[in-house]
Amino acid sequence: MRSKQNNKSQNQGMEKLKEIPKWTRRYTQNRTLTILALMVMLGLFSMCIAALVGFLLALAFAGFRKGNIILGCVGIAVLAAVLAAIVKFCIFMYAKFGGKNKGLLDQIIDHRIYSREGTASMPIPEATKKKKWLEITVTIVWGTLFLGTMYLGMVNYIPVKYVQPISALYCVPYMVLGWYFWRSPRTGPIFLLNPTLYAIHAILILAGVPIFFKSSFGAVLNMSLPMLGYGYLTFIIGHLYSRYALKKLKGLTHLEGDTANGD
Amino acid sequence: MEIDKIIHEPARLRIMMILAGLEEADFTFLVTTLDLTRGNLNRHMEKLESAGYLKVKRSFKGKVRNTSYQLTQKGSDALARYWEDIDAVRRLGKS
Repeated sequence: MRSKQNNKSQNQGMEKLKEIPKWTRRYTQNRTLTILALMVMLGLFSMCIAALVGFLLALAFAGFRKGNIILGCVGIAVLAAVLAAIVKFCIFMYAKFGGKNKGLLDQIIDHRIYSREGTASMPIPEATKKKKWLEITVTIVWGTLFLGTMYLGMVNYIPVKYVQPISALYCVPYMVLGWYFWRSPRTGPIFLLNPTLYAIHAILILAGVPIFFKSSFGAVLNMSLPMLGYGYLTFIIGHLYSRYALKKLKGLTHLEGDTANGD
Repeated sequence: MEIDKIIHEPARLRIMMILAGLEEADFTFLVTTLDLTRGNLNRHMEKLESAGYLKVKRSFKGKVRNTSYQLTQKGSDALARYWEDIDAVRRLGKS
């Protein structure tokens, strides 16, 4: 009787071991703090550039408008210097982390964040030339549509209320296809939470829920806030799920003292 | 039918199963996930490597030496065969 029970529990233990690859994959695919850190860095960088360029442009315009040529010229000169510095910085960043070193920045950040847990990676999606060009083309089309919708919303050609739902028509397919073709299996299906939330947001607006801005910057905020906000939320949830997956994985892989040290 | 003794050892089976779900994993990840001592894990990795089940990649991450492991095709086949054998033994035990 006892040996039957032992066999049963041993069988269950062996069956559980078969779940190790599944939980390892889930943990690895959801180490999303790296992407979150990259997104925050990119967001801060873009905001700094936008603020700096906007301020200098406003200064130069104000100078010329008030007849203060010196102030206008200084504004333009500083703006040119800032733009040159930005270009130089971008070239430096590309030389260090682009081309052959693509993915190095992710690796460095990943190492910083998860150094105590070590590194585990999923296969990188196969990058053919055709696939790469398709990705670039689709991203350019998406970017043009995104900025175009934003602009049309700003000039009131599209009512501010409908800016986000219209953008969802191409943002949601872009994010879903982008994940399927270029991110999977490196990133897990949790990434699909982002387009799902963006689509739900659009449906709620169409259903009459007032979750949009009506101010003059409404078009910009209505598109960029859900896009960034749901992105951040997705990656935070991904990270929390990776903690759960790691706990499950450790539960399956930890051995009792003697068994661990046996040979 | 003979069970693969190299894989059958509990710690090595877990190492192989972890690597089966990944492209590669480094030494630190395996140490923390398996909760083994570094020396013990090293010994297991050497055995798996000498059996041709693992591919070792040594590199530098900044100034720190990093060792990554990848399951080879031979290792992947051996693991699949191991589970087939184990399942067969369990079926025999049931009948």
